[in-house]
Amino acid sequence: MNPKILIIIPAYNEEKNILKTYNSIIKYNENNQTNYEVIVINDGSTDNTSKICHDNNIPIIDLVVNLGIGGAVQTGYKYAYYNNYDIAVQFDGDGQHDVNYIKTITEPIISGTCDMIIGSRFVDKESIGFKSSVARRFGIKIISNLIKFSCNKKIYDATSGFRAINRNLIKEFCVNYPIEYPEPITNAIVVKKGYEVQEVTVKMHARQGGVSSIKTWKNAYYMMNVGLALIITKFRRYK
Amino acid sequence: MISKSLTVTLIIVAISFIVITSYFLKKEKIPEKYSLLWYLFSILILLVAFFPNMFNFISQKIGFEVMSNMMIAIIIGILLLVSMFLTIMISDQKKKNIILIQELSIFKEKVERIKK
Repeated sequence: MNPKILIIIPAYNEEKNILKTYNSIIKYNENNQTNYEVIVINDGSTDNTSKICHDNNIPIIDLVVNLGIGGAVQTGYKYAYYNNYDIAVQFDGDGQHDVNYIKTITEPIISGTCDMIIGSRFVDKESIGFKSSVARRFGIKIISNLIKFSCNKKIYDATSGFRAINRNLIKEFCVNYPIEYPEPITNAIVVKKGYEVQEVTVKMHARQGGVSSIKTWKNAYYMMNVGLALIITKFRRYK
Repeated sequence: MISKSLTVTLIIVAISFIVITSYFLKKEKIPEKYSLLWYLFSILILLVAFFPNMFNFISQKIGFEVMSNMMIAIIIGILLLVSMFLTIMISDQKKKNIILIQELSIFKEKVERIKK
């Protein structure tokens, strides 16, 4: 039996990209006989994101109030849980992620060897495509070391929002998912809880429009918060 | 130790505090368990007004040069605790809020899907 796969696309003011992203998935389904289902989580966008989705029959949940990226993605996980999906893939609506790699990051989960796969830009030196700025890469390196400190496992692309998880983790994320800076923190927690996590090389593109949720001037503040959260995670006990 | 006029002022302040707290309690603006804290505040002020010498003695034993410094330090300490408590309450409320927003949004989507 084929597993039910849900692609969760959190979207905040992504009117320029959302339709393109959705169409790329539909086209991929047609060409590869896959059956990826999509849910867009509109996090209180002030532009036409919601209208575009409704006009084009794209499945969408409109959050009644803006929640922030973590709250939006968690809504997707709850939707996946209630509708009995086996695998949930977090996929950015801004064109950074490539639909061709969904197969790459879901396959180890389907075969049962892993609970979570992170699509990574840095896992090997030869990996291709967009790699972000020098400063951003340096920041990710620090976070990556902090994750190593908190859970004893190196995760190279610690802030990657391109992740696939199985049903057990969908259930976990429904109960508890950080509202801010969710990726690095959940990576560490999931490893600490004893789940099997792996990174797989994927190609990413530069953003095709819109503004990243991590703004430059907020970077120092971001690092402090994530750092603190990761250090606390080290000393927290998980069942 | 303290002047007559200060004693009178303190008593007025304490009574006003009691009246205000009771007013909000009666109007059900604050629950009983939080009003207790404000009553304790008023009682503390009354104690200072009636037994200044005792507080003076304590403050010198602890190492404050004047009693008023100790009183201000105590009040700042209590206020810090209160605001920390409020932070905890707010984040608890926020968590509940998020769950409500998520469940409502998922529910709305489902209703719209069924309507179609």
